[in-house]
Amino acid sequence: MNDDLTIVLTAGLVATAAGLLGPFLVLRRVALMSDAVSHAVLPGIVVAFLVFQSRAPLPVIAGAAVFAIVCVLAVDALRGSGLVKSDAAIALVFPALFSLGVIGITRWASGAHLDLDSTIYGEIAFAPFDVVAFGGVEVARSIVLLGGVVLFNLLLVAALWKELKVTTFDPGFARTIGVSPTAISRILLIAVAITAVTAFESVGAILVVSLLIVPAAAASLLTQRLWVMIAVTVTIGWVSAIGGYSSAIALDASIAGCMGLVAFACFLLGLLLSPQHGVLARRVRARRRGRRIAAELAQRPA
Amino acid sequence: MGPLIDLLPLDYPDAVVAIGAALLGITAGALGVFAVLRERSLVGDALAHAALPGVCVAFLVTGAKDAGTLVVGAAFAGLVGALAMVAIERSGRIRPDAAIGVVLSSFFSLGIVLLTFIASSESANQAGLEKYLFGQAAGLLERDLWIMAGLAAASLLVVALAFRPLKTTLFDPAFAASTGLPARALETLMTGLLVVAVVVGLRTVGAILMVAMLTAPAVAARQLTGRLALMIPVAALIGGAVGVTGALLASGTDLPTGPVIVLVAVGVVVACVLLAPGRGVLWRAGRLRAERRRRLAEGVLVDLETALHAGPPPTAQELADVSGRRPGAVRRGLRDLERTGMLADDAGRLRLTDAGAAAAHAMLERRALFGAWLEHGHRLDVPDAREPDPTDLRASLGDDLADRLHALVRQQEARS
Repeated sequence: MNDDLTIVLTAGLVATAAGLLGPFLVLRRVALMSDAVSHAVLPGIVVAFLVFQSRAPLPVIAGAAVFAIVCVLAVDALRGSGLVKSDAAIALVFPALFSLGVIGITRWASGAHLDLDSTIYGEIAFAPFDVVAFGGVEVARSIVLLGGVVLFNLLLVAALWKELKVTTFDPGFARTIGVSPTAISRILLIAVAITAVTAFESVGAILVVSLLIVPAAAASLLTQRLWVMIAVTVTIGWVSAIGGYSSAIALDASIAGCMGLVAFACFLLGLLLSPQHGVLARRVRARRRGRRIAAELAQRPA
Repeated sequence: MGPLIDLLPLDYPDAVVAIGAALLGITAGALGVFAVLRERSLVGDALAHAALPGVCVAFLVTGAKDAGTLVVGAAFAGLVGALAMVAIERSGRIRPDAAIGVVLSSFFSLGIVLLTFIASSESANQAGLEKYLFGQAAGLLERDLWIMAGLAAASLLVVALAFRPLKTTLFDPAFAASTGLPARALETLMTGLLVVAVVVGLRTVGAILMVAMLTAPAVAARQLTGRLALMIPVAALIGGAVGVTGALLASGTDLPTGPVIVLVAVGVVVACVLLAPGRGVLWRAGRLRAERRRRLAEGVLVDLETALHAGPPPTAQELADVSGRRPGAVRRGLRDLERTGMLADDAGRLRLTDAGAAAAHAMLERRALFGAWLEHGHRLDVPDAREPDPTDLRASLGDDLADRLHALVRQQEARS
């Protein structure tokens, strides 16, 4: 397969997988869970290295996934106590896990050159070089892997559509009709953890964090309907993938960085131009209101 | 700083690190309270990531890896990031967490792009520019301590001097703006302090430690007090104590300082969340259990009184059968009654002592009064608009009204 196509397709699949979950994270105000997971996986890598004595991808991903899940469940538990808000819970759990990882490395694996960059964070530019044969056709491993994640997320969101929707917008009502907000939130967060870890391994952390947050935040400016929001999120993700790759080639710069910047540009456009919530639209509305009031006051006899 | 360093029972470098950690903990604790209460705990994380493009630009402009220049670049980029966050939120639709996430990921993306430019421009000494940001505590110098002490003093001073306006802006920004408080100027001032704290912390102890230090002391202090005026000093105190403890533990066990401090800080938070008086998880569970136990004993007491009224003294098993409670629960209730001297055991048959009978009558009277209140309460002219305490109506209504309730019940019984 063509190298350019492989890279764009890989990024697009990450954008799709992230776009299916990102809107729920943004609406539930836990957008930063993705950044937390990107740091919290370190002890998993250390444990995998200590147990298997290798840096082979499979054990490392498995170890990382376990600690990603530990991270999201610990945040959920801390938040569930009702004493700590979700932002603070995130800010407490991931530094603790990351610190455990650093201590583990200095104690038991100091000679092994083990860090996040070299073990789990992939680089999207290398995606075309790692191929698997698939019925005689060579396909990049990242595409197969991420295609699986997209399928998994699609099935999850389709199967739990009503439950996700009701627990996102009205957890109290969800409880009265017998849908447990806690259980649904855990399922969603575990899916986020798995998606993030798989995507880290193919394209690196910052691109995954960008694609989980920025397109969803942009989409939340453009629509009030959930399914439209997901569709817009995925579209912006693909625009970032394609636009980011072409600008990276043109500028000879980091692919992941350019994709993140294109996503940010889409967000800025939404922030300025959204017909309902955009800065410009609101300014125009405010000015019109001011003029109308001034006109009414002028008509009234003093 | 010299005498202070000599005072600690540590080697010179360890003592410097311990004092630095304490000073940073005090600053982060005091400033973190405002971040945590406004649900922006991760603002430190975003500022840390936002510093990368600043470092890159500073390097591109000056072409030198000079510490001072890079720190200024990082601080400038942090400030721009912080203002971008405020601007995005002010548009009204984007929540703080998403605004923080957008700034974090886009600034870091910009930093990566700039890094590739630096790498391709073939500067000889560009290597490790991004590592420079995520520092090590061991690299602390005595000179850094003075900067940190100045920062801590400035933060505490600002918070102390501007306490009332800060408090009003924190809890009711709309009201603060309507009274003409310079809310924006205050916000910018606090953001500026936060940016400086993060940048200083970033270089000396690393981004992750900074995130934990901004959040953990504030969250722990919040569990211990609900008053802002107490919360800030408590958080500063916890921050300082955690810094010193972590640094001492790390030098004793030969582990890296930053991670140990983080773990100590998070340990303090977990302890506070579990045990905080009146609020902690275990504390609440304990209170709930005590309440359930008291209710059970009262229920068993009333059951026993009813059974004694109806026939001969029952055994524990018979009491369980007539009351419909599980035998284990009945036995537990009876044990508590026995301990408080309300139960007289007569060869396996249960009787009440005088105290027990009096308590049972009081219970029944309370229940009857509550029933009467539910049915006839609306006919009373209660002088107090507040709802009376349903567990002790006689005390909160007064004897006159309680007797009138009973009279109303008797009237109705006579009529039917």
